[in-house]
Amino acid sequence: MQKLGDFKLPHFFNYPPYFTLQPVRETREKQIQLWKELILDYCRTQKIFVIKLEEEFPLFSNSAIERTLSHEAREAFLSDLVAEGRAEWLDKGRRSCLILWHRIQDWADIIVNFVKDNGFEDSVMTVEEIRSGIESRGTSIHTFNHVNELDLDKFPFAKGKLAIFKGTSTDDEGIKFSV
Amino acid sequence: MRRRPGIGGLQTAAAARDQYRLLGENVAKLRTDLMKEQLATFRSQLEEFARKHKNDIRKNPSFRSQFHEMCAKVGVDPLASNKGFWAELLGIGDFYYELGVQIVEICLATRSLNGGLIDLQELCKLLRQKRKHDREAVSEDDCLRAISKLKTLGSGFEVISAGKKKLVRSVPTELKKDHNEILELAQAQGYVTVDEVERRLSWTHGRAIDSLDTLLEEGLAMIDDGHRDGKRRYWFPCVSSISSFGV
Repeated sequence: MQKLGDFKLPHFFNYPPYFTLQPVRETREKQIQLWKELILDYCRTQKIFVIKLEEEFPLFSNSAIERTLSHEAREAFLSDLVAEGRAEWLDKGRRSCLILWHRIQDWADIIVNFVKDNGFEDSVMTVEEIRSGIESRGTSIHTFNHVNELDLDKFPFAKGKLAIFKGTSTDDEGIKFSV
Repeated sequence: MRRRPGIGGLQTAAAARDQYRLLGENVAKLRTDLMKEQLATFRSQLEEFARKHKNDIRKNPSFRSQFHEMCAKVGVDPLASNKGFWAELLGIGDFYYELGVQIVEICLATRSLNGGLIDLQELCKLLRQKRKHDREAVSEDDCLRAISKLKTLGSGFEVISAGKKKLVRSVPTELKKDHNEILELAQAQGYVTVDEVERRLSWTHGRAIDSLDTLLEEGLAMIDDGHRDGKRRYWFPCVSSISSFGV
């Protein structure tokens, strides 16, 4: 079984046709499903948050069988992840994709729990404080940095639990928790 | 006595014919009775044999296969019904029924990957993996018998031959001769190109494309445009082992 570092690759990764976007709908749906699972699994275990479509990404090619995913295929798989709520495009040009191997709601829950556990309700903290705070307590939320790259107002976890203050620079951005 | 022509003579001849006919029928009946008796003896000997070797029949696939052949010769089908002596004694009916169910499960699970056509050896391998913990070993012969039972249930299962391989079909797709030939060709490398089909089978371009497109639509083939020679390849998962694609 082929591996990428520690990661065990599924069998379909070694079958050449899976690197070509299939024209027949049923076959394509199966193909997309397999690739989506692979991308999420890989990103979760390797703690990868962002995939840049035009750059080298280990999953996008298999040198053993000399195949590489076309840009169209990459976009198709990632778009499907986005449609499912497991990813978000970071730019309009769709060159960069944030992989939510935890759903946004799950991240929100993690943050809210952190806040509750540490008695930070009703206080205002800067994003940086929160991030380093969370990290220093051993919870792996390195993603918080990336979460900021999105328009925070869009965030579902802002519903009633958090109020976001935008400062003049990202260092000034603060979040108030009213849990 | 002088042979007398006339009615009397005719009546005698008729009576004689009747006698012969009756005799003939008796002889035939005798032969049939004898045969029936022989069969009955053989059958009870077979039952005795089955009783004695029940464990071997259950555990040993090749022994089981030979037993089936013996039964077939005498016109006994241990799988004919789930009731009665054979099923109760050997529980063989259950064994094949269970196998049939597992085969259906495997075919359904792999259908989206291979379009509903799976190599018999591959099927057996997956079956053995599935039955890892069961005492009874399973042979290709067992698979074929279970599938033929499935077939009589009208479930659309069938075993087809393509070249050296036997493929188990679990979808109603009718495979035409042309498709079969492509599958046979594909066994060498797992794929074919349009050129190859035209050349090796001496077909027109149109005929090749038609068949390949149909196989694609049925989910039996997948396209691959990634080779550096730029030629499109049509791969057939059903002639590959799903668990060891490519490399």
